[in-house]
Amino acid sequence: MYLVIVGGGKVGASLASSLINEGHEVFVLDNNPDVVASLQRELGMIATIGEAASIRALQDAGASRAGVIIATTNSDADNLAACQLAKTNFDVARTIAIANSPENAELFDRAGVDLVVSATDLVLANLATALPAHPLIRLMPVADRSQELVAIKLPSAGTAIGRTLSEIRLPYGTKVVIMITSTGQSKPPDSDAIIEAEDEIIALSPANSTAELWELLTELR
Amino acid sequence: MNVIIVGAGNLGSSLALKLSDLGHRITVIEKNSKAVSLLPRGRVDSGAITVIHRDGATGPAMMEAGITSADVFIAATGNDSLNGLAAQRAKTIFRVEKVMTIVRDEGARILYESLGISTINKAALASDRLVSVLTEEA
Repeated sequence: MYLVIVGGGKVGASLASSLINEGHEVFVLDNNPDVVASLQRELGMIATIGEAASIRALQDAGASRAGVIIATTNSDADNLAACQLAKTNFDVARTIAIANSPENAELFDRAGVDLVVSATDLVLANLATALPAHPLIRLMPVADRSQELVAIKLPSAGTAIGRTLSEIRLPYGTKVVIMITSTGQSKPPDSDAIIEAEDEIIALSPANSTAELWELLTELR
Repeated sequence: MNVIIVGAGNLGSSLALKLSDLGHRITVIEKNSKAVSLLPRGRVDSGAITVIHRDGATGPAMMEAGITSADVFIAATGNDSLNGLAAQRAKTIFRVEKVMTIVRDEGARILYESLGISTINKAALASDRLVSVLTEEA
């Protein structure tokens, strides 16, 4: 398959090298002569100088016979334009783009880019696994944002497990609305209700004490 | 947990929001006031995210951000070397338990990993994803 990669930076260069190793025919377009020279040194005559969002440059890169175009520059505007030009002017079957800014991922999708990869989301997904997470979900702000309705999922081995609501000193102003067990049963928030492993607690919390509430409920034994 | 993030660009801001969603207390150090506007306004106003307008790689900025009581330190600017410097200061001078950094260069990732800093190569994640998508299709 013939693939055109727009942007020969860290992502584009490493992608080009992997695809070449897999036997694909690849061509890289980059507006920086130094980048192009270094790609040519390392991978052969597979790169040319040109702007991402230029019909002429895409033509020089052989877009008309490309099955796929992959836009990997660090400019979201250029990535989108390159994909759109490839589709409208060269009938490229498949367009793929990196969205550097997470808010652009949805826009790219709506604008007809076939596959959008959000670099930020990849990092987040990777990083989240390295940090402990007992989710706190902010359901909605109330009373002019001075309070908020939150849902907190309890860990299976927390210090709060097995105690009653009245035994836990909740932050001042916090009001538990309802507790839901891991099997989906709801428990009214009576003072003698016992907190069980993996319960979900829905509470109304003063905005500035939500973090304290979360720490109290998710502290591990 | 108390989390300090250096850099409020696309990555730092998204991280701040995500970790704040998880209930952590976040402090972001960012010298560029334009970048600060990427942070979720409501969280900054409610105090869930604290912003320090200073150069994040410096000791005084880290002190102001409360580094002595930080559980996690994440260097997330767009500059690998700056991230490396900030992360090493957090680890060796302030002895933060969990120090992480985001880089774009594989050489930088290997270097910082060897120093005991959890390092994520953002560019490699993106290119690996693209390769796996294209390989599955072929």
